[in-house]
Amino acid sequence: MSIRASATAESLGATALEPEVAAAVGPSLALRRLLHHRSAAAGLGVLGVYILAGLLGPLLFPFNPAQNHLVDVFLPPGRPGHLLGTDNYGRDELLLILNGMRYTLSLGLLAVAIGLVVGVPLGAISGYFGGWVDIVIQRFTDVLLAFPSIVLALALVAGLGPGLRNVVIAVGVSSVPAFIRLVRADTLRLRELAFVEAARALGAPPARILLRHVIANALAPVIVQATLQMGFAILVAAGLGFFGLGVQPPTPEWGELLGEARNYIFSDPKLATFPGLAIFGAVLAFNLVGDGLRDVLDPRLR
Amino acid sequence: MLTYVLRRFLVAIPTLWGVATVVFIMARLLPGDPARVIAGVLATQGDVDRIRRQMGLDQPLPVQYLDFLGSLLRLDLGRSAHTNAPVLEEIGSRLPYTIELAFVALVVAVAIGILAGVTAAVRRNSKTDLIISSLSVFGISMPVYWLGLMLIIVFAVGLHALPAAGADQPTSIILPALTLALFSVGLIARMTRSSMLEVLGQDYIRTARAMGLGSGSVIFRHALRNALLPIITVIGLQVGSLLGGAVLTETIFAWPGVGRLLIDSIFFRDYPVVQGLVLMFGATFILVNLLVDLLYAYVDPRIRYS
Amino acid sequence: MRTKLLALAVVGGLALAACGNGTTGTPTGGSKQGDTLRIAIGVDPDTMDPMRQTTTTIQNIVQMVVETMVKIDTSGKVQPALATAWQTSSDGLTWTFTLRSGVKFSDGQPFNAAAVKANFDRVLDPASTCPLCGPMRGVKSVDVVDDTHVKLNLAKPIAPMLGLLTEVTFGIVAPASIQKGGSTYSDQEKPIGTGPYTLAERVKGDHVTLQRHDGYWGTKPNYKSQKFLIVPEAASREALVRAGQADVILLPPVSDLPALQRDSTVKVLLAPGDRTIFMAFNTQDSQQTLLQKPEVRQALNYAINKDQIIKSVLFGAASPMDAPMASTLFGYCKVGSYPYDVSKAKSMLQAAGASNLTINLVSPQGRYIQDFQAAQVIANDLTAVGVKVNGPRTMDWPSYLGTINVAPAKASVDMHLLGWAPGYLDASQAMVQFQSTQWPPAGLATSYYQNPEVDQLLAKANSESDQSQRATDYCTASKQIWKDAPWLFLWVQRFPIVYSSKVTGVQSIPNESFYTMYASPA
Repeated sequence: MSIRASATAESLGATALEPEVAAAVGPSLALRRLLHHRSAAAGLGVLGVYILAGLLGPLLFPFNPAQNHLVDVFLPPGRPGHLLGTDNYGRDELLLILNGMRYTLSLGLLAVAIGLVVGVPLGAISGYFGGWVDIVIQRFTDVLLAFPSIVLALALVAGLGPGLRNVVIAVGVSSVPAFIRLVRADTLRLRELAFVEAARALGAPPARILLRHVIANALAPVIVQATLQMGFAILVAAGLGFFGLGVQPPTPEWGELLGEARNYIFSDPKLATFPGLAIFGAVLAFNLVGDGLRDVLDPRLR
Repeated sequence: MLTYVLRRFLVAIPTLWGVATVVFIMARLLPGDPARVIAGVLATQGDVDRIRRQMGLDQPLPVQYLDFLGSLLRLDLGRSAHTNAPVLEEIGSRLPYTIELAFVALVVAVAIGILAGVTAAVRRNSKTDLIISSLSVFGISMPVYWLGLMLIIVFAVGLHALPAAGADQPTSIILPALTLALFSVGLIARMTRSSMLEVLGQDYIRTARAMGLGSGSVIFRHALRNALLPIITVIGLQVGSLLGGAVLTETIFAWPGVGRLLIDSIFFRDYPVVQGLVLMFGATFILVNLLVDLLYAYVDPRIRYS
Repeated sequence: MRTKLLALAVVGGLALAACGNGTTGTPTGGSKQGDTLRIAIGVDPDTMDPMRQTTTTIQNIVQMVVETMVKIDTSGKVQPALATAWQTSSDGLTWTFTLRSGVKFSDGQPFNAAAVKANFDRVLDPASTCPLCGPMRGVKSVDVVDDTHVKLNLAKPIAPMLGLLTEVTFGIVAPASIQKGGSTYSDQEKPIGTGPYTLAERVKGDHVTLQRHDGYWGTKPNYKSQKFLIVPEAASREALVRAGQADVILLPPVSDLPALQRDSTVKVLLAPGDRTIFMAFNTQDSQQTLLQKPEVRQALNYAINKDQIIKSVLFGAASPMDAPMASTLFGYCKVGSYPYDVSKAKSMLQAAGASNLTINLVSPQGRYIQDFQAAQVIANDLTAVGVKVNGPRTMDWPSYLGTINVAPAKASVDMHLLGWAPGYLDASQAMVQFQSTQWPPAGLATSYYQNPEVDQLLAKANSESDQSQRATDYCTASKQIWKDAPWLFLWVQRFPIVYSSKVTGVQSIPNESFYTMYASPA
């Protein structure tokens, strides 16, 4: 497959980014613009509420998901003490979702972190050194890209076994190629620029050039990509949970809750509705913020 | 043109080889003894040893690897541990369903996606644009497995209007195809919009408009045609996400395609079938994108000489 | 719908000698004729070969095509089928069967003694794959006496012979299709039998269609065809029957049973089953030695609110166990109960010096009705009597079996949830769980229970020729087992079937089998 086929497209449909424009925008200005960007602000707001609720909820209302109350199963929403009702174990649905938040968010965060830590250096090395290093890394990327993310993640989890750590690895691996592609493209351009050539002429070691001049200047598109990738990672991770291959119960991870709720879509459709809505909201928020970041950091597409 | 085609083929070969190698390594890294899994819980040690010999698992790894590549060249993917039928036959009997589903979903997604994207671009910053853009973000943020459940609740359970599962009725395909299409609709609409915006801003379009060409003609004969290249790329890449989405959609709607086969095989620990399917997913993606590249070169001759 | 776990070596010297009277089982539905009966099932058949098939639901389908020598009727009794009568020698080493005459396979070939021999030769061929053949391996050879008589020569007596012969594994397919060396000898894609239906079409992952066999020797079914839709999701199956797109479904989501029972457009059959669900203690536990004491295990039995769990978690799809086996088995007798009593459990634990008990507990998920859900509640109940519970942990089925099906020295968990269902309704198969010779890896007696008295009683019962004495022995053993409490005795699972009220005559056989052969439009 050719390099043109942007790695980001499968997950995000993002257009190629133009970082030279981005580099001109300072961080504080970018933040101010982001807050004035309508959809990005909405996304940030949703994320803020999520994080606050996910942190405060479990603190304020201690909750043990392994504890059940069989006399109160399948209560409808709106009962006193149970705003969203209860599930098949008589557990409070709202508390379940609040407690599940940290699993879902940290799954996404850790998976993207793997993508960044592995993908960004590989992309920079590939673009900077060129030659056979580039060829090897690019063919490797082609191979990883050939598998649909969910299939790659499923195959990995099938082998590694379910659980938080393995889901993070599986989803992380499937988000690596997007970062390699992105950073490589930027590096190819940056390495020809005067300030990088100057550093090289002054005898700076390649590692330092890569870190201080190349990666530092390619940060803007990486941030955009990482934000959008968060949404996608959450979708894939929750998909694994949905099939029972993710975090295992009684941990109330949203995908797992949704998967279990499949058994109750007639008797109690709310059990499938709320966790799905929560996943949808989180992914939407990351996508909105990512779009906003792209608009702000890359005014050409605004 | 011919040398270009050849060159693209030659680049695809190492990628296919890489895909095969990754699958081989993944299968060998898995914990547990595949021979024991295939032999079943009640098997004796003798059964396990026999299966191990049959599968060549008693050979050193490099020999296994060469055997594996050799049988791939002969299109021999082994036999299913669950049904004992050849893996190729298992996949072959399910593949038409997935192709049907993915094709219908792709047609729906391309038709709606391009139309929505063009409309949004032409009426840039209008209310229509806002609505289309918002819906597109909604589309790509929607968990397909959730959407599928919600559609079942509304159309199958609530309204009794459409089948909830299976593939045995003419209307069976509607819900799974819609579910599968939605993600791609959002993606294609977004791509079309930004691609169109770029083209619409270019000089020759302005010239064409200035020369008095009707706006419909400008949009469809000139702008869209030029915006089409990146859109084709995205559609090519959609094959990957459609196949991925098929895994989820087919499972929810009991659609008898390869996606559901993958999930079933994972749960049965039917490693030969899982291995064969992962290979097939990878190879399909590479070949489709090879075709897209060639199509691209055909549409835009500049590519060939770069 | 689960794969039967058959013990491999059930050895006994008893022959269930009985003589058939030639009746064929009575049709049960109405007499209205119908076109197609659509039945939604959850499993996709791995094979249609009766010899290779191990999943009850698929065996039920194959049974409509391929008949057996004898069969189990809807009340659980053995009835003649292709064999009309049988005799066994006094040493139990030969069985002679009289075959029904005038029967033809659906391809027109005659059914006769040679056909029976060809089938036994095939399933017992060491080169054949026959997972459930183990207990039949004692058959040394098969002789054709004349056209309607066949003789089985045994190396050693096989006590549950008739029970075994009800299994479709030993069903009779057309001999021409299993000629040695032929392509369908090792694997039958489309078996040809003598049954009331023929296998017309199979689309993998989607459906299997049976077509009525008009030359059937017995009572002809009312539906021209029966179509089995493969729908793995329980909720989707329910949607199909509610929307009228399926006439019968097996295993709806149990949480919807109360609502389905209220729905006048469908009927719910909570078929009695033979699967006991229990939590096996590791009675030889070296990490948690307190579990070696029967008093501790009894105390924990009092700690579980079984009735509440059956009501709220299983929605009535089970009945509490009152013996170490299901009431549908030969050899069952009601033994007692461990009523829910928290204070009794607590004081018993204290008396046994087990007030600081720590237990790790595992359960499969999705294997039995609400298994993991129930395990979570059980863990709660145990916590309520002061036990510190680590778990329940869950894992996929192969890993799960790998964890519990190990020699005692390698055991890593203190308690595990399991279901056990005999393939044919005889206590001998249920009781292998309590024989010390059946400890893993030799068998699947995963509680490592050992009581010499019980071992002796069971060995005796398995080789006893007097049926009532045999029943008494099983009953005595049951009482001792109940007292020793190697299990947390939970419940006997029912087999829920839901069908449209436009259909009648949907029945079940108490070994988790559906019976729609003679269903008809209502």
